[in-house]
Amino acid sequence: MSIMEYNGGSVIAMVGKDCVAIASDLRLGNQALGISSNFQKIFPVTDRIYLGLPGLATDVTTLRETFRYRVNMYTIKEEREIEPETFAHLVSSTLYERRFGPYFIEPVMAGLSRSATGGFKPFIAATDLIGCLNFAKDFVVAGTASSKLYGVAEGLWEPDLDPEQLFETISQTMLNAVDRDAYSGWGVVVHVIEKDKVTTRTLKGRMD
Amino acid sequence: MSRRYDSRTTIFSPEGRLYQIEYAMEAISHAGTVLGVLAKDGVVLAAEKKVTGKLLDLSGAKEGGYGGSGEKIFLLNSNVIGGVAGLTADANSLINYARSAAQQHLLQYNEDIPVELLAQRLCDMKQGYTQYGGLRPFGVSLLYAGYDQHYQFQLYHSDPSGNYSGWKATCIGANNGTAQSLLKQEYKDDIEVKAAISLVLKTMSKTMDSTTLGSEKLEFAVITLDPETKTPKAKIYKPDEIDELLKAEGLAKKEDDNAMKT
Amino acid sequence: METSFALTGKGYVIVASDTTAARSIVKMKTDEDKIKVVSPHLLMSYSGEPGDTIQFSEYVERNLRLFHIRNNYSLRPSAAASWIRRSLAQSLRSRKPYSVNLMLSGYDVTEEKPHLYWIDYLGTMTEVPFGAHGYGSYFALSLLDRYHDPEATLEEGLATLQRCIEEVAKRLVVSPGKYKVKVVDKDGAREIEL
Repeated sequence: MSIMEYNGGSVIAMVGKDCVAIASDLRLGNQALGISSNFQKIFPVTDRIYLGLPGLATDVTTLRETFRYRVNMYTIKEEREIEPETFAHLVSSTLYERRFGPYFIEPVMAGLSRSATGGFKPFIAATDLIGCLNFAKDFVVAGTASSKLYGVAEGLWEPDLDPEQLFETISQTMLNAVDRDAYSGWGVVVHVIEKDKVTTRTLKGRMD
Repeated sequence: MSRRYDSRTTIFSPEGRLYQIEYAMEAISHAGTVLGVLAKDGVVLAAEKKVTGKLLDLSGAKEGGYGGSGEKIFLLNSNVIGGVAGLTADANSLINYARSAAQQHLLQYNEDIPVELLAQRLCDMKQGYTQYGGLRPFGVSLLYAGYDQHYQFQLYHSDPSGNYSGWKATCIGANNGTAQSLLKQEYKDDIEVKAAISLVLKTMSKTMDSTTLGSEKLEFAVITLDPETKTPKAKIYKPDEIDELLKAEGLAKKEDDNAMKT
Repeated sequence: METSFALTGKGYVIVASDTTAARSIVKMKTDEDKIKVVSPHLLMSYSGEPGDTIQFSEYVERNLRLFHIRNNYSLRPSAAASWIRRSLAQSLRSRKPYSVNLMLSGYDVTEEKPHLYWIDYLGTMTEVPFGAHGYGSYFALSLLDRYHDPEATLEEGLATLQRCIEEVAKRLVVSPGKYKVKVVDKDGAREIEL
């Protein structure tokens, strides 16, 4: 048994046209035993950045609190909100600080970054548990269902999806992937981030 | 003779006084006025800006930051607004301290810091400078307007000695005596935010040195509860919002006033 | 074997914990109270490594008491839970971690709602409508999935709890004998005889 599979859980993020989406399951387990069907793994960082933290549940909470603290301190000192690229490096260095005794989390983040012309550009990224960054142009996955998520996303995703299409794509990807994973599931939450709003929907899933 | 006990902050004079602390408080009573009124459903804070002028470059104040209009009113945490009177440089360092203290509380307890606890954190530090030698005390008084689940809306005042107290309505800085007696007359126990805003602006207009109120001399903030989420909502007014508010209250600059000046 | 259950109802939380203190295969004591009243509206049931449980629960109790003395009000259940979780999470990566599993039941007097937090020795925490620790959890959780009602009265809640206890007594090889039951609601925490 790997420590990464102890509590279960998965996250995926996808790029659309002028929007991004991030989704996770809601299960918290103790190996095969389910404990909670409402364990959030995705957290808002700013109005335009969301962070998913699949992995060991104790570290989900710890890192969520740590990042909230560090981002708030950044906002106070800089007098502006953090940009997704900057935040990705904050995530990376926070994890690498624990290189030889890591947090057992593989973060996934999605956001819209401000471009030089004042518009917004979709941004997604993921890191491994010691903070090696992976900037992707299409989608990123992590968690116990990551292998299944890769498969389904590879088949369903296409470029330039509008927010509604992206929501449908990420929802189907998530729901179908977690059904093949014993450690993920028990409901799904999806966030679609656009330049002026974030839409959050909770989806019912199989409860077995 | 009293001179002998002036130079050290931590030494009592023969009459049992700490002169440096008293001087610090004296400095504050010359600073721009800060006024706070506690209402049933919110707290209102207003402050008089002292450093003004056409040539002052305010473009450094960025959008989308942590909040704070510049000189005297700052967001200390999502549930507390602070108003400062006294040495601005000292105030900045206290505000930084307050913000980190609030964040540390959030990290430790996963909840917004209770207002009184935040005031206590700052006062613990301020008190330290009245006792441990060699240093100057903070020349700053603060008003804390905030909300927490334990005591709902609250208004506190703290001074350089590290004393703090809760108020229904109070004032620090220049002319605070006049303002306080005005507030004492006008304040009613079941006052609502809307009336409190009028009371604050009316009192400010009577106590400020300048004859007319305008956004270049005034800072303004209100903390209320969001009707939907029931969480505190702090609003620090932008200059044009202040002018709009003054116009609505009938306290704005009149056109003929300007004509008189030119 | 050590077992504890907790469930929420309309304006209350019930906690039950077995009363055995065992060393290896020997029962040393059968009237041990493993539910601590850590503040006026907060109960903490604990199980795990014998020395650690006492040490850690007293550490929590005294820190919450200190907070109460300093501020004249208690931490809200959510704040207390977050603080306790953090202590366990920090301990996990220390030289000798505490191995203590907890269930924190409280009544938030400011928002007038009951809360139940499930916490394990790793610092995993989640708010649940009902929860269980120990071998009994495998039986109790499925029963609670079927019978739990968040709007149930105290009598109904206690009846559901009784079901869990009977099921564990019936099916678990090493089932514990007696249970201590406590309730927390708007009037504070108190013990209940089943």
